[in-house]
Amino acid sequence: MSDTNSESSFSNYGIYTIKDNIEFLLPNVTIKIEKIGDHVFSYLRRDAEDNIVKKIIPTSSSELTIELSPIRPLNYPARRAVHVYLDLETPIFLSEGSAASVFVLCPIEIGIFLVHEGHKDSLDWIDCEPLNSRFCLYGSPESGTLCKHASSEIVESYDDSIPFINGVLKIDIKNDLDKGLTISKIVFPITDNSVYYKNSKAIFDSLKAVLKKKLTLEILDVNSESIETDWVKSPTYERVESIKRVDMGVD
Amino acid sequence: MQFEFLQSLDTIEIAGGLTLLSLFIGGIIMGVGIIIARTVRLLFSKYYAPKLPQDSAKNFGKLIYFGIILISFLVFTSTTGVDFSGLLIAGGIFGIVIGFATQSVVSNLISGIFLMIEKPAKQGDKIDIPGSDISGTLLDINTFSVRVKRFDGTIIRIPNESFFTSNIRSLSSTPVRRSEAIVGIAYKEDIDGAISVIEKQIRKSMPFVLILPKPEFRIKELADSSVNIEILVWHPRDDWDQVGPHLLKVAKKALDQAGIEIPFPQRVIWQAKE
Repeated sequence: MSDTNSESSFSNYGIYTIKDNIEFLLPNVTIKIEKIGDHVFSYLRRDAEDNIVKKIIPTSSSELTIELSPIRPLNYPARRAVHVYLDLETPIFLSEGSAASVFVLCPIEIGIFLVHEGHKDSLDWIDCEPLNSRFCLYGSPESGTLCKHASSEIVESYDDSIPFINGVLKIDIKNDLDKGLTISKIVFPITDNSVYYKNSKAIFDSLKAVLKKKLTLEILDVNSESIETDWVKSPTYERVESIKRVDMGVD
Repeated sequence: MQFEFLQSLDTIEIAGGLTLLSLFIGGIIMGVGIIIARTVRLLFSKYYAPKLPQDSAKNFGKLIYFGIILISFLVFTSTTGVDFSGLLIAGGIFGIVIGFATQSVVSNLISGIFLMIEKPAKQGDKIDIPGSDISGTLLDINTFSVRVKRFDGTIIRIPNESFFTSNIRSLSSTPVRRSEAIVGIAYKEDIDGAISVIEKQIRKSMPFVLILPKPEFRIKELADSSVNIEILVWHPRDDWDQVGPHLLKVAKKALDQAGIEIPFPQRVIWQAKE
């Protein structure tokens, strides 16, 4: 057993050492891991529509160690995009020269990683709210950027993360333009943002967004910034070689 | 002994000043040329080709190989001192005859060169040639033909000339594509209600349909028996198979569940009284 989690009552993200069997109850999804042989475990995932994924996991020891952690929302319905389009339900107005820090909800997926000999291999991933996991296009159909769409609500702090559904992302916004502007969406490559977890909550590395002029264009320049936190950093598995840089125009 | 043997070869003339010795030396030059060409092509394909686009790498490889062989041949002709002028004149006349006979071959060759320069599509692109039944993945552009792997798994070879002169529709050059379907509802039904249920069903059951741009619904036609609604949805370019073929099914399911009638053609015949 891990030091923080109980095998019998799942409630949190974390590392689990399974000796016999375990069941994770997540929103709309159930995961069952059972020992079926001396060095063999079975993995079974069932979602709300009764879709079943089953895997057999041979192990070198009599125990199985897995990590359940929040991951970036890039897998469902398929790995197609690396950008996230945060569609702010309540737009933010920034007057000339002003700055603000906001916390917004950003969807997550849940990764199940097999931990062995210091490695963490992606065993499976799930989306507890698949109906809200959709693509969208930022820009024109000819040259736009395919993004994962996320209707995003502004919240008060990192504590407002919705377990297994949403993480919280802090955005520091600054207006360097000579006029006030409303921001209703933010597009950024989420592969630059690490995810951290604590109990059943998740947070992301923060974003720094600056409204500024680039030549004659007014743009929202978005960059990610690592955060200092004592939360546990989620494993990553994506290998992104190069990401197309998107210059966001302003409305 | 060996030197004497070579000297004896030098005395045997084959034709027009071409001796057996010079032919022997020429053979060595050509042999060395071929070895160098192969080595350079091998080194190129190992170290430089991976950095280039696949089709460019292949063409550069061929250019290097045949370029070195051509240089070897020129070295061979210059060292032997053979006068090829007579051969060139004969070759010229022969070339015209061959040119007429192999017009389409030359045309394909030239089209192939232009295809490599213009690059209307690159290796791996999904293409469609409107007006023909050819659509699939472009495998490669060769000297005389291109090969397309159709979506049914078969491979079709198209001569470069006809490919070059065709309209080529690229299905891979944009990040998204649009799929359309037309569904008819009865005249008595509420159009907005029908659109609303189709939209909800698409949102629920088609994860590859984009949220932005939103699915669009247009009244296509007030037809004989039905009001025809055109459904236009965007999806990632590689996921047509998850959307296009299923769109009508999803629309019908939505209308059936909402009890909205999809009419079949009806004709009312009035019989005149005698």
